[in-house]
Amino acid sequence: MTKSSSFQPPRIASWLIDLSTTPEKAESILGDLLEESSDLASKSGAASARRWYWWQSLRTIAHLFGAEFRVGPPWAIGSVLVGFFFMSSFFVGFFEWFTLANCGQNVFACSQLTVDFVWMKNGLLIWDLVLSLSIGCIVSAAAKGREMVTAITLGLILGVWSTVLFLVWSASHHYALLLLPLLMTFAASISIVLGGVIVRQIRMASHKCL
Amino acid sequence: MWNFFYIVYLMSDRDYLGEFEHIVVLALLRLADQAYGVTVRQEIEVRISREVSIGAVYATLARLETKGYVNSYLGDPTPERGGRSKRFFRVTAKGLAAVNRTHRALEQMTDGLRFAKRYSQ
Repeated sequence: MTKSSSFQPPRIASWLIDLSTTPEKAESILGDLLEESSDLASKSGAASARRWYWWQSLRTIAHLFGAEFRVGPPWAIGSVLVGFFFMSSFFVGFFEWFTLANCGQNVFACSQLTVDFVWMKNGLLIWDLVLSLSIGCIVSAAAKGREMVTAITLGLILGVWSTVLFLVWSASHHYALLLLPLLMTFAASISIVLGGVIVRQIRMASHKCL
Repeated sequence: MWNFFYIVYLMSDRDYLGEFEHIVVLALLRLADQAYGVTVRQEIEVRISREVSIGAVYATLARLETKGYVNSYLGDPTPERGGRSKRFFRVTAKGLAAVNRTHRALEQMTDGLRFAKRYSQ
């Protein structure tokens, strides 16, 4: 029986399935997909089997995430709420600071202040990314077995909330839409998801070692 | 107050299967000892011509397992699966009772209705 050596499943698709569910469930699902796609490859060719594998993988990931959302255990929901509390207080503070800094820049248009402002903006952007990544890691670590669904939920909630907050803030301060704060909110959401990926990868590696 | 909890207890014992849950449990009963992801998916596809993903089957089986209608065990790793094990599923006595209850409810609701006649007109 050398069916498995004749067909190599797409690595990215397999990796995404590995990320989206528990290691035990992922093993069964990946085995099932490989068994069926190997069979399909011997009948209709490798290209067709790869397409089928990708299509099945994407649908499977959507179903698994949907199921995980529905049966979210209390600690996963709790970790999302705690993460949201930390990140939201950071963003409220950030928008307030941005308002003050922008006013200051307009009033004192001297070169030293402008340089400071640029440095502070860049520093804050880096701080935002590091903080989001850390929060993503902590929240995912707390939601054991549901790392990705927790990180994605927090990323989505935070992305939507901070965009709404930003729009309200822009309207109330009569500013034109500034790119930096909006960019920061999206970067924060992506960093949180990335934190989830890192924790999941570490857990997967340790599970394979056992 | 206790009456309320007793009603909740009685209701929990009268849970009916959802449409796809019902189909999956029937596929498990048909496949008996050979029920795992691939065969369940193919059985549904062949019998009712409905294309389902492995993920949909697993999500439903996980839900059924949580309710205690199904249990699972791992088989031996096989080379055609890249050294991965098959997860076999079995319907429990509770699951069998749920499928019977659902069937009875459907029979009672459809009793006296003439689908074929009405739809052919």
